[in-house]
Amino acid sequence: MVFSYINSDISNSEISMNPKIIFHSLQNNLQNGLQNLVSRVLFVVGFSLALIPVLFATLFFSPPAYAQSAVLTPRQVTEYALTLEKLEADFYRRAIDAAQRGGLASAPQIAKDAIVSYGADEASHVTDLSAALRSLGGNPDMVTIPANPNYTAILGRDPFANPADFLLAGQYVEDLGVAAYKGQVQNLLAAGPAGKTVLAAALAIHTVEARHAAGVRYLRQTLLGADVRPWISTNAGTNEVIYNENRLGTPVPFELDAFDGYATQAEVLALVGPILNVTTSTRPTQPTPVPTIAPVRPNAPRALW
Amino acid sequence: MNSRKIASTSRRTLLTWGCFGLGSLAIAALPKLVNAQSNSSPGKTLTFNANDVGILNFALLLEELEAAFYVGVVSSGKITNAKELDYMRYLGSQEAAHVTFLRSVLANQVLFTTSDLSLNQASLNSILASRESILNTAIALEDVGVHAYNGAGTSITNPTFLLAAGSIVSVEARHAAGVRSLLGKPVTEPDSDRLVNDANLNAALNPFKGKAYDELYTPKQIVAIVASLNLLNNPINGALVA
Repeated sequence: MVFSYINSDISNSEISMNPKIIFHSLQNNLQNGLQNLVSRVLFVVGFSLALIPVLFATLFFSPPAYAQSAVLTPRQVTEYALTLEKLEADFYRRAIDAAQRGGLASAPQIAKDAIVSYGADEASHVTDLSAALRSLGGNPDMVTIPANPNYTAILGRDPFANPADFLLAGQYVEDLGVAAYKGQVQNLLAAGPAGKTVLAAALAIHTVEARHAAGVRYLRQTLLGADVRPWISTNAGTNEVIYNENRLGTPVPFELDAFDGYATQAEVLALVGPILNVTTSTRPTQPTPVPTIAPVRPNAPRALW
Repeated sequence: MNSRKIASTSRRTLLTWGCFGLGSLAIAALPKLVNAQSNSSPGKTLTFNANDVGILNFALLLEELEAAFYVGVVSSGKITNAKELDYMRYLGSQEAAHVTFLRSVLANQVLFTTSDLSLNQASLNSILASRESILNTAIALEDVGVHAYNGAGTSITNPTFLLAAGSIVSVEARHAAGVRSLLGKPVTEPDSDRLVNDANLNAALNPFKGKAYDELYTPKQIVAIVASLNLLNNPINGALVA
């Protein structure tokens, strides 16, 4: 079930020759900031011949030029979100266990309290999204994760072995969760009235994931002296966020700390795939491995998630 | 600073964001401070229509209030802890960036200038009198901002606006969580802190509610909350908040 729609998403997205994709290809070849700025302006000019300050407003008020991904139905978005929430809830369940009798037993109480609180939130999300999926005609029991997800894929090592690694993994997971929800709001809007309820639910969850992310970051700053704050820093590096946070070529200045980036379903599943892709028995309808999901690289310096 | 930070397109915006990159606050334009006892000028009436332009202007109003608040916080001298002051400065610069962004997006459809806004100086001074009052007000403003953006989200029709609002609201949630953490509070908002209780929530907007969710408040509910803070003198009306 999970992998069947993973596959359909990948086959439908990011393959068309639209200006955004072309722009991104162009942009990837540009090396310095000045060139990025120039490319940004050129991109804007491509849509209009008016003066630049006017262009900015024109871009916003013109028909949508910034579709985020393949168009998913509200039910597909709910299934996707439920997959991520089941994974997050499982992640925190294992952390709670490790805090009682494993590698996280030495964690300060403030961190243990956060683990319990965030885990309860994720469990609520699973329960309520399951009900929402039923109301859309879906079956939440068909949205599965492996019995033992490969969480080692996040950092290249056991994230439950010590508090520092757990909090780093938690930061990656929660920041990605925020971006994943944000990446679906346009799909839900596009569904019209049929998408309103799921959009409302997604918005209500989205900012709680951001609170979790901020809380984990605060703990890393406060307990570990990490150079991190509750928000994602301007031009955040790949050791701070693991998805494309500083997305260029849109009217929103995502690279600034005041604006959080988003991640498409394909981008999220490419990162989560190595965690899910551990037991073939959970995907009987999928005869071959999904080729577009990056394999786990044991020696990678940071997470693939 | 890396020029990739310079994300917008007007010279004015470039200069403003350049200032943020140097760590200073945009203090060139601030709402007017009005002493409630002696000179209670209410200022321009703000009329918000029930459409995307009205929603973005309403968001701009909230961002202006937040930005002005943090300018006052930083200059109050009441926040002396280094981390707390660092957070207040960052929050102020990020709210100012939201103001700049929304004004750029709205362009000639913006309803008010910053100087059209009239703040109640007596109320503001009262809030800025102590660290505890400042940080608790920051939490209230940030939590309300989250509920406000969420509540407007299902009414936005332009997909790029919706994405932009989503990009901002999660940062507001990070602010709320960060200041909550400074005071040793849970990052999520307990029901006891909520300014709109379950019975008064709009049922259609809130399939989920409780600690694990940031409920969607209507613009009308947000206006009532803002009025209760007694920070803004300007009258507010229009279909959006009716």
